[in-house]
Amino acid sequence: MMIMNKKLSKEEFFKKREEIRSHWPTGADERLEFEKAVALLKSVPDSKNFAKKLRFAKEHDLTMIQPRAGVALVDQHIELMQFLEKHGKADFLPSTIDSYTRQNRYSHAEDAIKQSLKQKRSMLNGFPAVNHGIDGCHKVFENVNVPLQARHGTPDARLLSEIIHASGWTSNEGGGISYNIPYAKNISLEDTIRYWQYCDRLVGLYAEEGIELNREPFGPLTGTLVPPSISHTIAIIEAILAAEQGVKNITVGYGQCGNITQDVAALQTLDSLTNYYLKIFGYDDVFVTTVMHQWMGGFPSDEAEAMSLISLGATVATLGNATKIITKSPHESQGIPTKEANAEGLRASKLMTRMLKTQRYPSDDVLKAEKEMIEKEVKTLLYATLNIGKGDFAQGVIQAFKHGILDIPFAPSEMNHGKILPARDLRGNIRILEFGNLPFDDEIKRFHKDALEARGKAEGRPVSFKMTIDDIYAVSQGILVGNSEYKEPSL
Amino acid sequence: MYTVVIGVIGADVHAVGNKIIDHVLKEHGFNVVNIGVLSSQEDFINAAIETDAKAILVSSLYGHGELDCKYMKENMVEAGLSHVKLYVGGNIVVGKQDFTEVEERFKKMGFDRVYPPGTNIEHAVGDIKEDLADA
Repeated sequence: MMIMNKKLSKEEFFKKREEIRSHWPTGADERLEFEKAVALLKSVPDSKNFAKKLRFAKEHDLTMIQPRAGVALVDQHIELMQFLEKHGKADFLPSTIDSYTRQNRYSHAEDAIKQSLKQKRSMLNGFPAVNHGIDGCHKVFENVNVPLQARHGTPDARLLSEIIHASGWTSNEGGGISYNIPYAKNISLEDTIRYWQYCDRLVGLYAEEGIELNREPFGPLTGTLVPPSISHTIAIIEAILAAEQGVKNITVGYGQCGNITQDVAALQTLDSLTNYYLKIFGYDDVFVTTVMHQWMGGFPSDEAEAMSLISLGATVATLGNATKIITKSPHESQGIPTKEANAEGLRASKLMTRMLKTQRYPSDDVLKAEKEMIEKEVKTLLYATLNIGKGDFAQGVIQAFKHGILDIPFAPSEMNHGKILPARDLRGNIRILEFGNLPFDDEIKRFHKDALEARGKAEGRPVSFKMTIDDIYAVSQGILVGNSEYKEPSL
Repeated sequence: MYTVVIGVIGADVHAVGNKIIDHVLKEHGFNVVNIGVLSSQEDFINAAIETDAKAILVSSLYGHGELDCKYMKENMVEAGLSHVKLYVGGNIVVGKQDFTEVEERFKKMGFDRVYPPGTNIEHAVGDIKEDLADA
């Protein structure tokens, strides 16, 4: 059957559910029976409900903070969570899921859990929630005081989603595009859209029981010079796909680009456009919030410099009125941080959100022009996707990626065209150097071209992929606009 | 025009460097066969056989390169590819190690050239052209 953006029937869902619960022994847990899970979720206090805390944040105009973190064993994971809550002042807690679980390799995860017990250190890069099952996940939930979310990168997260929600975790990150194209090589979009329709329908079924859970499409995609209009378009489509399955509380995301005006413009339009298009396409009771991911590319190795970059992220997120920030740590360039370093990133971010609480980025012509360009580009991409899908967004996504109408820079997936190239302009805004098959009109293309030519002129070199390469390495070298010839001005 | 096979070995999904190498080699006139991320030794070898490639360029960024590249040269010889040049680059070992030792280890494993983290691909292009012209 051809996949469409259409709500799964209860019959289809529960039939599929039987099979999914058999993927690993923890799926047989009787607490996964729907009524039992409903009862547990109804007992979750508002203070530990992700969706309700996000509503609170938005109503009170707050920007809240959340780290990434996860280790192999339950007790160590709880210790980590408690530390980040207490010493990092995290408003929301994550549980970052390990790479084996992301690939549904549960028996590999089982071996690694045993190794971790033996060696008394985490042999996994995250928390294997499926292997620990409701026993482990619910224990984590009981031992923290703030809402929990699974954060991962799992193309097929159906069993994972069942287990975490039935354990009291009230948010799940991911989507059929954002957890495929940047995270897989040759899994079809048809499959991942189907898998995520299931995850969204689960949340929709809980909503029908009066339980509000949050869903968060993964905004930054490859985290490598992604133009805002591309990540926005995908976030909006994933929001629409989720809303069709009955999701009522959605957080759309964006990865910090580096130019303050472009970042603020992106955050403001992410909120307004998602709300606008959800309504246009008939989903008028969805509560939308935004999340900004602090710089997702390579970090400087110097910890003071890294902390400065973290603070810049917190600054633009707050000025741009993001509801939530995903924080980084000063250990970012070295890999997975210690809990202390992770908490330092949180605290540095928290201070900035407090200091800037009542401040907003002033609206001027530059900001306005940036926002208008994002709006125009998103509109073009969204309607081109809808058209090629003959009015259906699920079909549209599959066809659009096939033909390069949607194209994500630097993605590993073979489903992605991979023909577009971004580069920064003189001010550090992310522009498009090669458009591939993006259906942009001449006015949009001219805007990008002019901006990049101005940089080429200033740097005395032709506009080329060399700029892109320089830009990819720039931030880790302590500059924003890459220039391999760059030298500090000196007397 | 020389045909070269490029890809990222093992369970590694790091795609950015792979795209950069692809682009730069094409700009320099190579016929690039890019097998992408998550590629096994067999994937590299099969691609080289199918396309009659003159060189294989292996990338690895997640630290397990040494395990993933074990016996690669032997497997190439067995597949009749002893004439094909073999290159590797990236963060090819776990953690920070002295690069001259790493280079020596990989050369013993049969790699013709070994590049440290952060190598500019333009630099390697010169080597490849030189090596293939000699071959």
